[in-house]
Amino acid sequence: MIEVEEHTLDNGLRLVMAPDLTTPVASVNLWYGVGSRNEAPGRTGFAHLFEHMMFQGSAHVPRNGHFQLIEEVGGSANATTWFDRTNYFETVPSHHLDLALWLESDRMGWMLPAMNGEKLENQRQVVMNERKERYDNQPYGDWDERIQALLFPETHPYHHSVIGTLEDIAAATLDDVRDFFSTYYLPNNAVLSICGDFDPEHARDRVEHYFGAIQPGPDPPPIPGIDRIPFSTGTTLREDVPGAVPLPRVYAAARVPPFTTDLFYPGDVVAHCLGTGRTSRLYDRLVRRRMAKSASCHLLPLTSGASLFLVIATGFPDTDVNDLETAVTTELDNAVTLTGEAVERAVTGAETRMLRVLQQVATRADLLSMYATHFGDAARLNDDLGRLRQVTLDEVRSWSRNHLNPGNRALVRYIPERSS
Amino acid sequence: MRVRVVQKQPLGLVTAMVVLRAGETAAPAGCEGLAVLAGDALEGGTTRLSSVELARRLENIGASFGAATGWDSTTVAVSCLADNLVDALPLLAEMVRSPAFDQAEFDRYKAQRLATAAHRRMDPAAVAADFHARSIYGDGDTYARPLGGTEASLGALESDHARQYAAARYGPVQAAVVVVGDVESEEVRQLANREFGDWGEQSANPPEAVVAGREPGRSIHVVHRPGSVQSEIRVGHVGVSRFVEDYLPLTVVNLVLGGSFSSRLNLNLREHHGFTYGVRSTFAARRNRGPFMVSTAVGNSVTSAAVREIFREVEALSESGPTADEVQTATSYLAGVFPLRMESTGQVASRIAGLIVFGLPVDYYRDYRDRIREVTREQAAAAARCHIRPRELCTVVVGDADAVAPGLEDLKFGPVTIHDPQS
Repeated sequence: MIEVEEHTLDNGLRLVMAPDLTTPVASVNLWYGVGSRNEAPGRTGFAHLFEHMMFQGSAHVPRNGHFQLIEEVGGSANATTWFDRTNYFETVPSHHLDLALWLESDRMGWMLPAMNGEKLENQRQVVMNERKERYDNQPYGDWDERIQALLFPETHPYHHSVIGTLEDIAAATLDDVRDFFSTYYLPNNAVLSICGDFDPEHARDRVEHYFGAIQPGPDPPPIPGIDRIPFSTGTTLREDVPGAVPLPRVYAAARVPPFTTDLFYPGDVVAHCLGTGRTSRLYDRLVRRRMAKSASCHLLPLTSGASLFLVIATGFPDTDVNDLETAVTTELDNAVTLTGEAVERAVTGAETRMLRVLQQVATRADLLSMYATHFGDAARLNDDLGRLRQVTLDEVRSWSRNHLNPGNRALVRYIPERSS
Repeated sequence: MRVRVVQKQPLGLVTAMVVLRAGETAAPAGCEGLAVLAGDALEGGTTRLSSVELARRLENIGASFGAATGWDSTTVAVSCLADNLVDALPLLAEMVRSPAFDQAEFDRYKAQRLATAAHRRMDPAAVAADFHARSIYGDGDTYARPLGGTEASLGALESDHARQYAAARYGPVQAAVVVVGDVESEEVRQLANREFGDWGEQSANPPEAVVAGREPGRSIHVVHRPGSVQSEIRVGHVGVSRFVEDYLPLTVVNLVLGGSFSSRLNLNLREHHGFTYGVRSTFAARRNRGPFMVSTAVGNSVTSAAVREIFREVEALSESGPTADEVQTATSYLAGVFPLRMESTGQVASRIAGLIVFGLPVDYYRDYRDRIREVTREQAAAAARCHIRPRELCTVVVGDADAVAPGLEDLKFGPVTIHDPQS
């Protein structure tokens, strides 16, 4: 049970505090309610490129000063961009909490004066290299791009990847940076969480001091496109990718109820039953039987209209990709036969794993920001395991029947080209 | 058998880890990959419990488990609620003491490792790392080959090899049980004693890694990857063992060179030139001399420029050492992030396992932060001069040779050899 204190500043910034004196460190975590889903057509990848620009200095912080100042005091910092949000975080020795708060406030309030074309050009090159390294020069590197494009129609905000295309990254301008900042990087579009060893009264005072003067703005515009979408693709959609991959691999995805709905919880249990641990269905029936080298299952906590349920299975060099596909889809079809014993084990495992990730102060802060952003209630983190525990076998089976059938499926298959 | 107990955690968790001095270094010639594969196969059941039954018993109580094998050790760990340790520890002991190494199960793990090796051949980062190791170490050196073995060596392994390896190498000598979590020390000791106290078979000390190295001198190897949109670059030479006396000053040096975001290499290659998404340097900590390596991935057109900048930074640091400010920042950083790397029961257990493997004192971490802060500029400069040898830098580039080899020739950083991808 995490004791959580929540406040809202006059400018709309939501503050979440969860003190815990175990380790003499404090973690600051900011979620901005903007991600790749907010990108305009022709500007895919921009939310992520913008995240890089946030480290290029602000009115009172020199270029790369953010990392330097945090590293100098023995802290760590970073940021990530995802579909629905962008997060920024630093963990520092407790007595340097003020530094982390000041740094975050300076770029939330006063980033634009430090921007220029040379910095944008530099980070554009960095991000293009990031794309090449992680997507284009890597076996299977572009899988999420393909799965998203297949599973979500062009009108949906999840149709394109977070990294974006090289063309769109090349097209980004300094005006885009200014507009994006003014539109989304607002105190009323952010959650600030602080976890670890700190005094809440002092922290609240410092947050008011550093962030209080930042002007709020209008609510961000609606997400481009149409995010409401049926949990059905109508048929099994597929794409085959022959090429320079060492092993056949199948990605199987389904459109499922989003994180913010009660129907997410049975889905979470199903994902654990199928893919977590050595007793899971996929391990038992694919890996143990040497149909696959490895197999995993994931349910992403997405919020915009639908979320993404995913199975990844990798074969051996001599595995026929059709056999691999059949093995995967058979387990998706058969999820309706999951047993009470499997559900019980999955929930027990999920409980222990949740405690394990909560050991890390930075993860606690991030999860609190997530619940505050998506539910307006950070303390909901405490009830979530209870919600998982309440899921019944009937709910698990009917969820599987409704969402994991062949009429709601996208398959991307990587097929090794036999060159020798 | 030593028992180490650390009481930690308000969340009611525990990690129990058996640390065995049984790493790839101890795999016999011709059996490369055996230690890794035997470690994998520990999940494949015991003489009493099938693989399925073992997994069921552990996962019914919410436990996660697994083995990890490196050059110098195999660790087998279970993490669960502290209340369940009484059920989990006997199963952990059984996995380690009575593995079945059933042939069918062994073959399954072997097929997985073979597939991993096949994957590595097509992953440019893995190709670069493997080729670099081959290039800096001598042909007979232990670290010249991939940790997990090659397709040829793995192909020859049978379950009997694992049985013989475990009989020789899994044992209480130089081993330990590490338990970290919300536990009572005395209870854990009794439990550990019950499960491991009669593990009496003495294994001889494991053989140490052989490192002869190569003729010193610069060289550039281009592994041709037609159509590659980037070059994976590795630059380095044979480094130091974990036992080197100035390990902490060298840790500071590496942080300044390429061990953090604000390192010289990252600020130069990424933030100044925009050549790469990231660049880092490492001195691998092993019982014998592991590699010193700078690694990055850059666009084709800037490949030789990036290599030139890497050489420039490596040479400058070796020659002049870090500045006083850099040493101050680096020591402050290392001391500050130390507690962040000791947050979870698993992290603490792994750190203690490292102490066991390297024979370091049990209280090594008690004053670690003070000792880091005491590192002086002079010590760091001496470590840089001694352990970074610009005249011996070996460069490996995995990329499109047609696009990058001419530029690399022009650098004059040693003879350029172009290799076929499969060689």
